[in-house]
Amino acid sequence: MATAELQKPSPRPRPARGPSPKVSVGRIALYLTLVVISLLMVVPFIWMVLTSLKTPVEIASQDAGLLPQHWEFGNYLDALKAAPFATYARNSFIIAISHTVLNVLVASMAGYSLARIRFRGSEVIFYLFIAALMIPTYTKVLPEFLIVRFMPLAGGNDVFGQGGSGWLDSWWALIVPGAVTPFAVFLFRQFYLDLPVELEEAARLDGLGEFRIYARIMTPQVKPALTTVALLTFESSWNNFLWPLLVTRTDSLRVIQVGLSVFKTENGTQWHFLMAGTTLATLPMVVLFLIGQRYFVQGFATAGLK
Amino acid sequence: MVAPALLHASLWIGLPVVASVVLAFTKYDVLTAPQFVGLDNFRDMLDDAVFRKSIVNTVVYTFFTVPFGMALGLLMALALHTGLKARGIFRTAIFLPQVTATVAIALVWLWIYNPRNGLLNALLAFLGIDGPAWLSSTTWAMPSVILVGIWQGIGMKMLIYLAALQSLPKELYEAASVDGASKVRQFFSITLPLLKPATFFVLITSMISAFQSFDQIYILTDGGPANSTTMMTYEIYKSAFREFRVGYACAQSLVLFVLLMGFTLVNRRIMGGTRGHS
Repeated sequence: MATAELQKPSPRPRPARGPSPKVSVGRIALYLTLVVISLLMVVPFIWMVLTSLKTPVEIASQDAGLLPQHWEFGNYLDALKAAPFATYARNSFIIAISHTVLNVLVASMAGYSLARIRFRGSEVIFYLFIAALMIPTYTKVLPEFLIVRFMPLAGGNDVFGQGGSGWLDSWWALIVPGAVTPFAVFLFRQFYLDLPVELEEAARLDGLGEFRIYARIMTPQVKPALTTVALLTFESSWNNFLWPLLVTRTDSLRVIQVGLSVFKTENGTQWHFLMAGTTLATLPMVVLFLIGQRYFVQGFATAGLK
Repeated sequence: MVAPALLHASLWIGLPVVASVVLAFTKYDVLTAPQFVGLDNFRDMLDDAVFRKSIVNTVVYTFFTVPFGMALGLLMALALHTGLKARGIFRTAIFLPQVTATVAIALVWLWIYNPRNGLLNALLAFLGIDGPAWLSSTTWAMPSVILVGIWQGIGMKMLIYLAALQSLPKELYEAASVDGASKVRQFFSITLPLLKPATFFVLITSMISAFQSFDQIYILTDGGPANSTTMMTYEIYKSAFREFRVGYACAQSLVLFVLLMGFTLVNRRIMGGTRGHS
């Protein structure tokens, strides 16, 4: 039975990377299963890259092989010309970087105060953040849109938010509403809580102000939290679709994920371009994931169990 | 120092939630001022066959993606917990879809499902099977969407289980082996019960995200064919941004919220809660 073979929570103490354990049928089956599953997970990505290198004729023909007959690297250049992908990618980068910086900065400050400073109402504020964590995106996305639309004194709006288009089609709408996440506040609080109190006391004796204690003493101790929040924020910002779709109209502000979907609805989808664009949109995240894998994995796991 | 975050949360979470609840009892088209209509929106919802269908679809989608994804995620975690040599590569491969945008993933699957020259039907043709038009068939569209959902979600579930497995006390297994308990027995009597907090966490977070699926529906099917894959979030989006019935959309999202809360509480009851972490 596969389950029996798969579960093997090291019953005996055994060096994790010691000499290879005895080659059993179970172990081979385990490897095979994992190879098959891993392939199933990766094949769509490989397929995407291969399709992006084929000619339209080859894509349309029914008995084409998996590999392209002619490797059309020019598809990438042509796709960049066919749609303003460079602009989309630049916009996505600006937004993702802004979100990352703002979230790390603002949420770490909040997390620090909630964890280390005793002040009136800190409990209540903490529970408010926990509650905010549980609100589904869709409960708030419409009013968020309305706030952006009726933002007073912006985009031709008067003091009451009437008359213009507010923050719609602006960087403000793309960056501000999603800048700080309650999840990051929560994660930072957990990390700051674990720091020893002596550190803080020593700094206080040295006469450091609260902000300096946060910036100079405590925050350098929570580097894993900084990396985790930074990576997760960048990831969700780069991959975000609905919000940028709602608040942008012009091509110059489109982000890459929205740009891709616009490409799809045009009459007669050009698959070779679309797959080239999708590869370009996927690449930065895959590269970032491979570089920061340790932190990503740690981050997601911590997010789950802290 | 908590002020900036608090201010941000009040404006972009607190205010929207309150506004959403208030607007749910109004008729509002953005252009003219909201009009109080009492429970009209909720009454309309009862008559709205498409919205009812979307609730059923959302539940069906969740019912298939979450447990199957969890079972696969747990199996993968157990396999990778055995200390295999190449586990880093396997873990990377399984986790990859998790960091990729759902839009990009959906576009690739749109192409895989392409009835004329997509990968899936090419494979089936190789086996001598005439594959259906996956996404434009009322029978196959939902299973196709579900498959993508399971595929994309395994990585995250695996990772949380893997982290939980690594924190299990080894002594229990040693004691159990000494007592002659089989591996299967150990799994059901030790591992599974100890994984309860992780299971609860995975269940809740997966359900919340399954209930809020939007991107893949938008790209893959637009809710069709014949509303066979429309989801609650997609209906909310349609009501608000295609029909400009913002009050109605807010009422719909309130129903979504209440359902999610209800499911969470029921799960908590069944699972007996989770250990408190501080």
